[in-house]
Amino acid sequence: MVKQHVLEMKGINKQFASIVALKEVNFELYPGEICGLLGGNGAGKTTLMNILYGLYRQDTGKIFLEGKPVSIQSPKDSLSLGIGMVHQHFLQISNYSVIENIILGANVKHPYSSNLTPEKQQIDALCKRFSLDINPDAIISSLPVGTRQKVEILKALFRGIKILILDEPTTSLTPQEVDSLFKSLEVMVKEGLSIVFITHKLREVLSVCDRISVLRDGRNVISLDRKSAAEEELVKAMVGENLDVSKSIIFSKGKYQTVDPKYEKAPIFKVNDLSYTNADKVQVLKKLSFDLYENEVLGVAGVAGNGQHELVETLMHVQQLSNGKIYFLGEDITRVPTEAIWKKGLVYIPEDRLDDGFLPKSNVAQNLILGFHKSPSYSSKGFINWKSVYSKTREMIKEYNIKTSGPNEVGSNLSGGNIQRVMIARIFSQHTRMLIIHNPTRGLDIPSTDFVYRKILEKKKEGISTLLVTEDLDELILICDRIVIIYKGELVGVLDRNEFEKYRIGRLMSGFKDTSLAKKRGTI
Amino acid sequence: MRFIKSILPYLGAVVIAFVVAGIFIALMGYDPLEAYATIFGTSFKTPYAFVQTILKWIPLTLLALAFTIPYATGKFNIGGEGQMIAGAIGAAAVGILLSDMPIYILLPLEIVAGILAGALWGLVPAYLLYQFRINEILTTVLFNFIAFNLIDYVATGPWRDPTAGHPTTVAVGEGGFLPNLLSTQPINAGFLITIAVAIGIYIYTNRTVGGFELIATGANPKASHVHGINTRFLSVFSLVLGAALAGLAGAIEVAGTHHRLIEGLQSNFMQLGLIIGLIAGGNSLAVPFIAFFIAVLEVGARAMQRTMQIPVEMVFIVEALLLIFILLSNVVRRRK
Repeated sequence: MVKQHVLEMKGINKQFASIVALKEVNFELYPGEICGLLGGNGAGKTTLMNILYGLYRQDTGKIFLEGKPVSIQSPKDSLSLGIGMVHQHFLQISNYSVIENIILGANVKHPYSSNLTPEKQQIDALCKRFSLDINPDAIISSLPVGTRQKVEILKALFRGIKILILDEPTTSLTPQEVDSLFKSLEVMVKEGLSIVFITHKLREVLSVCDRISVLRDGRNVISLDRKSAAEEELVKAMVGENLDVSKSIIFSKGKYQTVDPKYEKAPIFKVNDLSYTNADKVQVLKKLSFDLYENEVLGVAGVAGNGQHELVETLMHVQQLSNGKIYFLGEDITRVPTEAIWKKGLVYIPEDRLDDGFLPKSNVAQNLILGFHKSPSYSSKGFINWKSVYSKTREMIKEYNIKTSGPNEVGSNLSGGNIQRVMIARIFSQHTRMLIIHNPTRGLDIPSTDFVYRKILEKKKEGISTLLVTEDLDELILICDRIVIIYKGELVGVLDRNEFEKYRIGRLMSGFKDTSLAKKRGTI
Repeated sequence: MRFIKSILPYLGAVVIAFVVAGIFIALMGYDPLEAYATIFGTSFKTPYAFVQTILKWIPLTLLALAFTIPYATGKFNIGGEGQMIAGAIGAAAVGILLSDMPIYILLPLEIVAGILAGALWGLVPAYLLYQFRINEILTTVLFNFIAFNLIDYVATGPWRDPTAGHPTTVAVGEGGFLPNLLSTQPINAGFLITIAVAIGIYIYTNRTVGGFELIATGANPKASHVHGINTRFLSVFSLVLGAALAGLAGAIEVAGTHHRLIEGLQSNFMQLGLIIGLIAGGNSLAVPFIAFFIAVLEVGARAMQRTMQIPVEMVFIVEALLLIFILLSNVVRRRK
């Protein structure tokens, strides 16, 4: 007997202004399965599911639920049809308790009192049924990210959903949390739910999904059972012809040509007992010390929000550090202003591209020279040489594949991925000594991500070191020589490349100190 | 072609503003076409009217720039009026105290004194912003009131001209008169100074590293700071530079137009300068042209009042409508 679809999306088209986001996309979901929706950034996965959840409306195409056509205008409609979605960014009120967050916007038994006993019982029952380990009275802000995500899932379950959509659920989880999430998903499927799992990580779909559907450039590529799925086939489906897989860094499993860091020489960058207390008198960074050597890529691992942002900002002197010393090329740069730090060739790609990295009202050329506008290649004697700026930025647009009508286009017209390319082009096209990069590949498609890795490794070969701060463990393991792990503003471990192991890093990211490492280079 | 396309919405807004104002004029029982013919025609009918237009254009341009330069960094200078008065007082003080000096000493000193006094008037709010992060809108406005009282004191004090019916000082020394450009018309060298300043500001904001940093700061102060631009200094600097230009406007009024300090010489140049700056959207190249347009309106409005008895305030309504419709056209374009 052929199984009946619980959900079918047929011929979905969606266009944003001039950009085709989805073209004739079909998607099916069977009861009791986890279906992986795989694709690089910008492939249209999230757009497709946002249409299902009612956040966007399709231009054309139909949605069938258990064979019946349905019209979904808003998340309210989709929730009443039993479809729930957990987004990459949680929509939670952090100083409310778990139960308060869950019932927010739902119907409660006693709407005019704060008697939540019936709801609490219901939540307890749900937790038991789906084996989710959550205390309903805990305050959200006190919970780790993995638990907060489960609260988000619980929120959907509380509304009685049958179909659960998870958008890149593993982004900020430690490997241990990922395992625990996968276990919960399996329980849910056994209890009759159907799950759509949106991800760009191949390994995850292979380990948890029953079926895999691949999207690329807003089109269906393939859809197959896990059993019949070969990894190579999926990789090809994801990246298409834009990337030579055999030469890529991403799919090289770490086997690419590189050079060893010069550990025998003095470090080029040295941080001693760096502490930082923010305006709210919270000590965000506690006595961090580490070194960076020539030709080295040093990774900083950690769950988002453990002080990474403050670390890079104090290193660039955007924030004033409270204590400690920073040395660069043997010189004390602790009190040197940001401008002089850039001038010395220590440059920075911030994580928050819109707030920290981009001038939306200025044009592409102005954005490309920001931070280097005083360098002799762009200006002399206080005057900017726009002619050479324009010719150079035109080259950069070409080399870095920035999709724009030209250097004159206003920055705010650029898409997120293109803005990231501008920031990458800005840094990598200049002569520098060391890079500080925070989440450089977030939001980039696979070929662009590969391009960034290639550039970092090229710079490494030239002797230029990189401090790579990212929440993407795969990225760190792939291209770093050493990784330091940050937890609640403290360095809790340093690992050499031969010690890289996902679960070990994951343990450190959750705050378990690895004391055996304390005596090594870059002491804790 | 692209230029025409980019100013088309502005032209549309201007037309709508005049149509709406025309309805008001018609409702008041006057002929709107005749009124507009007077408003637009007067400046170009006689050389005298044209010179009067230029004399208005000078302070309008400078005060508009006094607003747009800080505006480029995201700061609002609403104190152009006070800075202009301060500049006028500074110029008049030098001109009166050193009245015996020859022109090549007195005139430059007078102009410089005006610029410095204006800059000083902007420096205090700028310093308060830099050191204590006190909102510059508030402080620059408050400094206007200090200037009003100061000019009252100076114009009625020891330098007072007892023969004048209005609070006025005695004339500055002859060496402190800006030379006339024409023998037949009262047009002074302030015109050339203003053109030079407008060009200089254009070059500064569009061609220099400092100007780039100024614009970058306005576009995104956090990103500029992250990329090594001293944004705090720049916002302060832009306020002081703007104030210096307002001070220059005051000095030109004293040295060129009146040859003395007159209470009320600031007219409503600041409000108009603000309107010009906002219409220009901070684009310093557009400022002189828009300022000329507004100057034509101003001169035409007085003529309209004389010949048709339409109150001069009608032109304020037109100017306000202009601003509203142009700002609206920006919103409409962004929506698209």
